[in-house]
Amino acid sequence: MDFALSEEQKLLRANVVRFAREALSPGAAERDRDQAFSRELWKKCAEIGIQGLPVPEEHGGSGFDPLSCAIALEALGYGCKDGGLVFSLCAHLLSCVVPLWKHGSEAQKKRYLRGLCDGTLVGVHAMTEPGSGSDAFALRTRAEPDGEGFRINGTKTFISNGPVADLVIVFAMTDPQKGYHGGVTAFLVERGTPGFSAGAKFEKMGLRSSPIGELVFDGVRVPREAVLGGVGAGSAIFTDSMDWERVCLFASHVGAMERLLETAVAYARTRTQFGQAIGKFQAVSHRLADMKVQLEAARLLVYRAAWRLEHARNASLDASIAKLFVSESLVQSALGAVQVHGGYGFMTEYEVERALRDAVGSTLYSGTSEMQRNIIARWLGL
Amino acid sequence: MSDDVKTAVKEFILSEFLPGEDPAELTDSTPLISGGILDSIATLKVVLFIEEQFNVTFEAHEVDRENFDSIENIARLVGTKRPQDHDQARSSA
Repeated sequence: MDFALSEEQKLLRANVVRFAREALSPGAAERDRDQAFSRELWKKCAEIGIQGLPVPEEHGGSGFDPLSCAIALEALGYGCKDGGLVFSLCAHLLSCVVPLWKHGSEAQKKRYLRGLCDGTLVGVHAMTEPGSGSDAFALRTRAEPDGEGFRINGTKTFISNGPVADLVIVFAMTDPQKGYHGGVTAFLVERGTPGFSAGAKFEKMGLRSSPIGELVFDGVRVPREAVLGGVGAGSAIFTDSMDWERVCLFASHVGAMERLLETAVAYARTRTQFGQAIGKFQAVSHRLADMKVQLEAARLLVYRAAWRLEHARNASLDASIAKLFVSESLVQSALGAVQVHGGYGFMTEYEVERALRDAVGSTLYSGTSEMQRNIIARWLGL
Repeated sequence: MSDDVKTAVKEFILSEFLPGEDPAELTDSTPLISGGILDSIATLKVVLFIEEQFNVTFEAHEVDRENFDSIENIARLVGTKRPQDHDQARSSA
């Protein structure tokens, strides 16, 4: 494994950082305050290729390998101060576009991928239900055979991008007897399908420009062609998409950690107390040193896991390790940045408080820290 | 024809998930998933082991309770993917 960036990756990173700073960061505080999702910025992101990073060019994407995707999303998280927008982009890309690209039929790819890549469509992945979060496969949504297709009934909750969804990958139980092992199927449901609607929209602590809400499936009839990857393939598709999400979404958090560190260091070098820059006090400088160590370790874990997404038969363990470490490091980094800023850090104007609010959810979504530790322990044979 | 698969999978399951168990207790028809021996990650480990050991690839929808609930069923599925097993099955038919 050689993680020295190639010339292409350096250019990709530089372009994404410049774009994110110039086009996406302005107005981030207002969008956070107003919980505003911006379709205009969504389209701009599509113009530089964010929504289709790994998708082959023939389907409207850029065809980047997983490591390059992680580098691009790290750059996005570094340059873009609108954590909610970054989160929405990653949710769309990693849990809808990627599984569709990897498991979809040619007809499904032709029908949806171009629109998902060019910013016309917002994609969603609907797994979580009111009664099944960490125990994801205790889902109650059912899909019953109905003529040539299926009829789906159930309610999904905490669905990122749900309120603005154009295309949903929804997981439903097709064979309760089989359960996790072959009993769950993924379906593609389009906005406008009779019986499908967006339910309540939720207000949340952070990532406020990323809309989140319920999705209701009330006797939604879909043809057999709406099955993604085969009847019973839901658990394998979900696991695969979680691997991508736990690596590449968290790559964007590595970028956020770097931005927080730079912000905190800059402040510590200029803010003076007791006649000297506060960064000269070890109580401050050691905290920043720890943030640097966490950043570098987090980046290496993400890069290795991203590399294994392409080169290893399975990257689930690596993805869980990376997700666990990055999320917990991000929360600590954000807390550190607020602490270094003192009272100013608690004020919205300095923006680190928003970064802290954005960070808190990272140990919850894509599987809580507790679930990641469970997964890692199971891989250890425990 | 699929004895090598059965033996390898049995040894793998015994060493990974049933340490200290009497090997005679794990037969070709012992329920693996419905019997609680394999959970989701354990099944994934078995899949990876077989793919690497026998140079086969499973499709997402193939990794289900039917195909992986016993060593017998696993061996049958692997047999459909290995050309030599196909050939042997044809010549002995």
